[in-house]
Amino acid sequence: MAIAETYLPGSRVATVGDYFALLKPRVMSLVIFTGLAGIVVAPGHVHPLTAFTALLCIAVAAGASGALNMAYEADIDARMSRTASRPIPMGHVGKGEALAFGWWLCAGAVAIMGLLVNALAAALLAFTVFFYVGVYTLLLKRRTAQNIVIGGLAGALPPAIGWAAATGSLSWAPLVLVAITFLWTPPHFWALALYRSDDYARAGIPMMPVVAGKTSTRRQILAYALLLAPLGLAPYFIGLAGPAYLAVAAAMGIAMAGCAAAVLFERDTAREPAARRLFAVSILYLFSLFAALIAERLIGAWM
Amino acid sequence: MAMADNFDPARDMRAKKRRSVAIALVLAGLVLLFFLMTIVRLGGDVVHFFD
Repeated sequence: MAIAETYLPGSRVATVGDYFALLKPRVMSLVIFTGLAGIVVAPGHVHPLTAFTALLCIAVAAGASGALNMAYEADIDARMSRTASRPIPMGHVGKGEALAFGWWLCAGAVAIMGLLVNALAAALLAFTVFFYVGVYTLLLKRRTAQNIVIGGLAGALPPAIGWAAATGSLSWAPLVLVAITFLWTPPHFWALALYRSDDYARAGIPMMPVVAGKTSTRRQILAYALLLAPLGLAPYFIGLAGPAYLAVAAAMGIAMAGCAAAVLFERDTAREPAARRLFAVSILYLFSLFAALIAERLIGAWM
Repeated sequence: MAMADNFDPARDMRAKKRRSVAIALVLAGLVLLFFLMTIVRLGGDVVHFFD
């Protein structure tokens, strides 16, 4: 019977909220923020409506990539407690429906970026979607423990897209912001993977703690945090940021390295409180640095 | 049958209507965005564009 095929046990018609949840709004907010930083710190003047359009396209493409990620990883999500309540495993949105939703939104976002902003920003946006969906989700995620290291490039590119949207070109300055986010990704995700390692193991995802063990992951987290701390100061030394940014980046770099060191010496390996703390601090780290960049530039322009 | 337990036609109709309204609002927003961006890109010459 046709209805029985459509309405699975526990399923219902997808609501607007289900589609919004497919866009991974929390991830989207971080991407919008780093993209905004790229626009704000870029030299020259950009019309506010152009900046808004660019941010909208970045946000929609990021959200659509999240929807595609959920569609292609629906089998994994169903096996992990953290993701089992997402719309596809719950049966609220069909996999094909999510794929169509994601691909149309991606195509729309890239097309609008190209038509209303500029071709370089659109090309970078298309590359980011390709890298996140094609390289990270479909190629790396299930195959290698370096999945989030290499795949982290997709999440790191929004400042460069923002810069390209504002200037129509690229330079070393936005690539420094990309490098900061790129080096930030492993300690951030491996901290999560440390206290969710059972979940990842059950789902068959080769995250670093599952493949190399927790001890090796702790060392690598500290190594990345120690590389990230000085790199976080670089925007000041290349003239992209001022002393307020330097103070925030130095303080947060020390906090992040301190938390990473605490993860290395963690004794409570069942609950992993240090890893949970590092995960929270890493989010604060990225928000603080980009907030300082934006605030410094906006206050400077206002004064 | 399993679907009978939670199949609520009224609730599903409401959800479908909300989806239609959301799609309409997004499309209207896009039309407005294209209109405003056209004005922005034409800049100060917008009045004389068709001269």
